[in-house]
Amino acid sequence: MATRRLAERVTPLFLGTMLALLYVFLFAPVIYLVYTSFARDTVWPFPWRPNFKAYMSLIDRRAYQEALWNSLGIGLGTATLSMTLSAMGSIAVLKYRHRWRGLFSIIMISPMFVAELLIGISTLIFNRKVLGLPGNVPSAVIANAVHGMSFGFLIMLAQLVRYDWRLDDAAMVFGANPPRVFWHVTAPNIWPAMLGAFVITFLLAFNNLEISFYNLGAVPTLPSLAWGSLRYGLEAELFALAALVNGVVFLAFVVVYVLMRLGIVRFGYRGI
Amino acid sequence: MPKGREAVPTSRRLFHRPETRFMLLGLPGVMFVVIFLLLPIVSVIIFSFWRTEKYEIYADWNLDNYRTVLFEGTYLIFLLRSIVTAVIVTAACLAYSWPVAYFMAKYGGRYRLLLVLALAAPFFTGAVLRLVALQAIMGPIGVINMALGLIGVPAIEFLMFTKVASGIGIAYLYLPFMVTAIYLSLLNFNFQLLNVAKVNGARPWRAFITVTWPLNWIGTAIGITLVFIPCLAESLTPTFLGGPSGKLYGSVLGLQFDQTGTWALGSAMGVLLFVVCCVVIAAMWLTINLRRSGFTGASD
Amino acid sequence: MANVAVGIYDVTKRFGRTVAVDGANLEIHQGEFFSLLGPSGSGKTTLLRIVAGLEEPDSGRVVIDGGEVTGLPPYVRKVGMVFQDFLLFPHMNVGENILFPLKMQGIAKAERDERLGWITRLLHIDGLEERYPHQLSGGQQQRVALARGLISRPALLLLDEPLANLDRELRKEMEVEVRRYQRELGIPFVYVTHNQEEALTMSDRIAVMRAGHFEQVAPKYDVYSAPATAFVASFVGHANRMRGRLKAANGARAEIDWSGLSLEVPAVAGTRVGDTVDYFVKCEHLSIGPAASPPRFGDNRLEGTLRDVIFKGQVADYIVVLANGTEIVVSEAVGLPRVKTHDAVAVTWAPEAGNSFRAEGA
Repeated sequence: MATRRLAERVTPLFLGTMLALLYVFLFAPVIYLVYTSFARDTVWPFPWRPNFKAYMSLIDRRAYQEALWNSLGIGLGTATLSMTLSAMGSIAVLKYRHRWRGLFSIIMISPMFVAELLIGISTLIFNRKVLGLPGNVPSAVIANAVHGMSFGFLIMLAQLVRYDWRLDDAAMVFGANPPRVFWHVTAPNIWPAMLGAFVITFLLAFNNLEISFYNLGAVPTLPSLAWGSLRYGLEAELFALAALVNGVVFLAFVVVYVLMRLGIVRFGYRGI
Repeated sequence: MPKGREAVPTSRRLFHRPETRFMLLGLPGVMFVVIFLLLPIVSVIIFSFWRTEKYEIYADWNLDNYRTVLFEGTYLIFLLRSIVTAVIVTAACLAYSWPVAYFMAKYGGRYRLLLVLALAAPFFTGAVLRLVALQAIMGPIGVINMALGLIGVPAIEFLMFTKVASGIGIAYLYLPFMVTAIYLSLLNFNFQLLNVAKVNGARPWRAFITVTWPLNWIGTAIGITLVFIPCLAESLTPTFLGGPSGKLYGSVLGLQFDQTGTWALGSAMGVLLFVVCCVVIAAMWLTINLRRSGFTGASD
Repeated sequence: MANVAVGIYDVTKRFGRTVAVDGANLEIHQGEFFSLLGPSGSGKTTLLRIVAGLEEPDSGRVVIDGGEVTGLPPYVRKVGMVFQDFLLFPHMNVGENILFPLKMQGIAKAERDERLGWITRLLHIDGLEERYPHQLSGGQQQRVALARGLISRPALLLLDEPLANLDRELRKEMEVEVRRYQRELGIPFVYVTHNQEEALTMSDRIAVMRAGHFEQVAPKYDVYSAPATAFVASFVGHANRMRGRLKAANGARAEIDWSGLSLEVPAVAGTRVGDTVDYFVKCEHLSIGPAASPPRFGDNRLEGTLRDVIFKGQVADYIVVLANGTEIVVSEAVGLPRVKTHDAVAVTWAPEAGNSFRAEGA
């Protein structure tokens, strides 16, 4: 009996320690990166003498700014496209009990199981050699959106399985046409799922190297800039940019989390 | 007659039908996948039977590319090396993810959402920079080895530009996917069932094997696939962390496109990679028995 | 014809291979409380959804208030509806929920507020306007759903098993209230339910549905006491079924042999000696007494042993095992028959209290 009670105490402690170690493993590089962004020497940034040189020089380094704008463009374009398509797809599959909904779901999820490298080279071949298109931001957006859409679709499915689509029926009986049903009833209930899909696909595309790399030609993005400058050693400006991105996203998450805790926004449909 | 009761044109009646709505909403996504994923893959398959010369591609059908990939030594070795790496890394991720996900789902309480969101935090930063930082921690002049040097312990050599280092790097990139997949599965798992099993005389490990594991196998299988496939195709990490002998299939495949311009050969390598991925997905699919998985989502 | 609130003509709806509604014809009158009663899967909800426009019939026509609505989408039909599980919009408070139909119709704010005041007072939910659905009790949610259905003074209110998820006490209370609102407003109600007590309490007329068609459409008293088919006889009320072979027919009465017991039953038109006949008699139409009690001329009288008495409050069910081994149930006031368990008892009733039909599938 005593051993059993001991086991019941120790098991969560042990598992919790594993979780803590996982976080250390996952966050250590990110923390190191933020730390180094304030250092003079990125190769051996010890001891710490904080300075903001890297941040200051970002302001007048055209290359970094261009890459940042390209990455933002790819991120936002991909997120918008992915969110729209995955929202439409998940609504179709969940709301209408059509006999093809299983097939549609499998097709929508399938890109997730195709390696990024394969998506990259196959769209490169298709765009360049079959369609004769040059590598540019729109083709990178499309290639990223193939991948992003499947993630968005899965996120929305997971959040919306419990949504009661008969609410849409009710709205329609009370005089709302389909656009108004979406605006007044569906969207207010499913926006957290759509936002989740948007944020995740934005982050995946913003930081994507392999898919974008093959579809961009000479257009620089932040990941490709980092990849390209690897052999010469990274400049502190890249660390600074990454730290800034982390800061912005982290802040956004904190704001959303606080709003949720205060009950100002409700995250996810919970029914009545 | 009251407003809105006039005869309805056929087009509007058609629009109102559930089948039409389903197609209008669902087809764009499906067509998107068909046009921008399926067609490109088909063109890769076609190109793999063609010939490249001086960055130009010629449509004369042949099997030379496959002959090269399958029989000219090195490529197949790279593929096998990739498969072995992927198996080891996936197994390690699985072994570590289960306890962690179990803890989050069972003991996370009101902080569960925060715990799982924290898994997404590393993705705020691009993979290249995170690997640079990882190397700066593990590498020869990294934090770990320098710290060991300060207290007089010899450096851990396997962390420096080795297969182990590149394995740790790959695991670092994809571990969160596995944890999330298993966590989401456990989130919908009714832990009360374990008490039922225990009341009926099952010991904890027995309850886990007969109840918890089979009911969460789908989530686990998705996690395994989501880690295994990118591992198999990984090109970035080995090139960077693995040192000269750590090169994997993905890096060699990438070279065909951005360095040597041998697109047809690269296509054949891509097809081979795709086939291996399909085999893995099919194998995972065969292990899933929907009726015994507790899965009720799409059956009603 | 101006009296017809809803007309359903030759409506058929299939889902794959199953026929949910099979050539239904029905006219519901202005000011009427009409119930569609049937077991689950009988097509009653499908028929209601067809009237609302949520399903399109494969063939046939639907007319509301004199205007053809077949093929029109729900949002132009201007009907009210109360759904099972209420389906209140979780992101809107009570006031916004109730006002939703008026907002969709583009009615001016001043009038909206006036009508909100009217309906909340009528349904005794004034003061709840700022609350959210998850903060309400089941009964309050029910009233809000009713208010939302009624606020636009629709030509028709459709109710889809609205009381199914309330507990028994509250359901009894709401049955009376729903009936009262219908009377006060004079709006025709079409009420779908599988619960015969609800249908009998509230309705003017009842349509009993089975497998997509109507078994009987009649005033509720007729459905109860003069069932048109064997199905209605067994589904409405609690009845004993006695299946027997026709031995002799003499005018209005016939004699059947029910597993060795002889019974007098009302004659069934078009049956001949040797045919199988189903005879239904409601439990409360039977009387039970000590076996020694004298028989009355013309009544059926069966002797048996009282196996059990199931106390139900005002009445009790007396379960009697007959000489042929079958059981029949008698509902009578508690304590009135002077019998105890294991007593020899006699069950008597007038043959006309029951209804006989040619047996189905025999």
